[in-house]
Amino acid sequence: MTAVIETTGLTKTYGAVRALDGLSLSIPRGGIYGVLGPNGAGKSTLFRILLGLIRPTGGEVRVLGQHAGDPAVMRRIGSMIETPRFPPYMTARQVLQWLALAHGSKDAAIDAWLDRVGLTEAANRRVRGFSVGMLQRLGVAAALMTKPDLVILDEPTSGMDPPGIQEMRALIRSLADDDGVTIILASHQLLEVQRVCDRVAIFNRGKLAAEGKVSELTAAGERLRLSATPLARIMGVLGDKATLDGDAVLAAVPRAEGPALLRALIEQGVDIDEARWVGADLESVFMAETGPARTPAQVREALHAG
Amino acid sequence: MLADAIRSETYRLLQNRTAVFWSVFFVPFIALALSIAGAFLIKTKAEQLAGELPPGLATSGPLDLGVAFANNAGGLANPGILAFLLIGAATLYAGDYRWETWRLISARNTRPVLMLGKVGVMKILALAAMLVFLLTSSIADIARGLIFDRPFTFSVGISQAADFGLLFVLSFVRVMQFLMISLLAAVFTRSLLAALFIPLVVGVAQFFLGEAAPALGLGPDDWSAQLLMPGLAFDTLKTLIKGGMEASTLPDGVMIKALVSLALWTLVPLGAAIAWFTRQDLSKE
Repeated sequence: MTAVIETTGLTKTYGAVRALDGLSLSIPRGGIYGVLGPNGAGKSTLFRILLGLIRPTGGEVRVLGQHAGDPAVMRRIGSMIETPRFPPYMTARQVLQWLALAHGSKDAAIDAWLDRVGLTEAANRRVRGFSVGMLQRLGVAAALMTKPDLVILDEPTSGMDPPGIQEMRALIRSLADDDGVTIILASHQLLEVQRVCDRVAIFNRGKLAAEGKVSELTAAGERLRLSATPLARIMGVLGDKATLDGDAVLAAVPRAEGPALLRALIEQGVDIDEARWVGADLESVFMAETGPARTPAQVREALHAG
Repeated sequence: MLADAIRSETYRLLQNRTAVFWSVFFVPFIALALSIAGAFLIKTKAEQLAGELPPGLATSGPLDLGVAFANNAGGLANPGILAFLLIGAATLYAGDYRWETWRLISARNTRPVLMLGKVGVMKILALAAMLVFLLTSSIADIARGLIFDRPFTFSVGISQAADFGLLFVLSFVRVMQFLMISLLAAVFTRSLLAALFIPLVVGVAQFFLGEAAPALGLGPDDWSAQLLMPGLAFDTLKTLIKGGMEASTLPDGVMIKALVSLALWTLVPLGAAIAWFTRQDLSKE
């Protein structure tokens, strides 16, 4: 499995602040890779280094096998960092035409891309009147129209309505599956990431806190959800491995022990309506890796201290 | 790669019709209108007052358009052209900071080439403004000739053609000099207003320095005078090109000093802007 991104001991400091702290990461070619982390975790800093917008303070970084910022490599990358901005006096079509010319692209298929991101009707409107969601769509079209090998998207669905989010998710998925483009995306919408990404990296304070396939990360918190009666008897069998989840019980047992547990419950006279494995969602993994949210009292304390 | 940068910047600038209008068309057409209106006014007033035109205007001699065009070429680096070209320059040089669009294009080319692409487009814009001004000032010459009933001649000799060409190139260099200061101001401050006003402030400061030069003991043959005041260098070279008595009074070796001054004031801001931009953090827009 070849890597599109390789970082070793990557560090970026702004004065006393270490935005990236010795980050070593390998992002494989193909599929959709999610980069998660709380604000200030270093996601945007990593993206800016990958795109040659800023230089690292230390460490190594290679993008598509070359140094970050290498012009030949940059032309193979499409990107959208945060909410994109465009010259306000230009129409959506003119923006794409301008960027296609900047790229030296003769066959950018501008109308096809406007259609693909749902901006055909707004193609001749000036972007100064665009909503955030429309700007996001135009930014995605701008990132993709030059047929890059690698696409970096920072919060691609920010500001979009639910149908727009669904369309964007389908577009991103089709790019990875049908066009073979490697996509790296950052998002705070963990459910979206869980749905669309194949692998994720979780950043915390400039370091890599967790990395792996989404299914592997969430499997660590997998539970057997039992809808059964009487609940008290189930609790008695499972002891502290059981937690109540509404009318059901979540059993913290390894998948291999599932059949034996079900047999034992039936022998105890438990009437099982439904038993199914439920994974932990990405949000629980995220919270476990980045620490719990601070309480209002902790926030007040931090403010007084700072 | 440079062709891509120039093509895309030209395309973008052409979509900004407001900037193109103010930079290229406003001054020439206002100057044309004022010139024709002024000629009519003078003629009317003169006829009312004395029934004759003032001396100099009432000449019955022919108007040599060849000489007039050459003189017009020498006047292309005028404050009106310079000030209004800065609108286009500020838009072109600082627009990507203003609209936070550097990150859209910085991945598509090398930074020096992106900057040189902008300079290339600015050269085209400056040439367009100068050519439009040359056209309208020539129309104004013809109109004034018609208003004052002067016959026309058109002497086209090697001398006039050479004067015209040299004065046009000299004016172009002078215009680009200001535009390079605008470039450096845009890159250094990331501000559209700074790109617009800093060259004006530099120009005004140089004007006052020029006025104070005799009092400061600075003569045209001083290196310091030529290097501090590119306007003086421009005037020196213009005088040398036109020749005549005034040119013969200039000291020997002043041409080299003036050329060095013009070259430094053009190339140093350009080099500094590219060097600064190459290492600039473009994520802070």
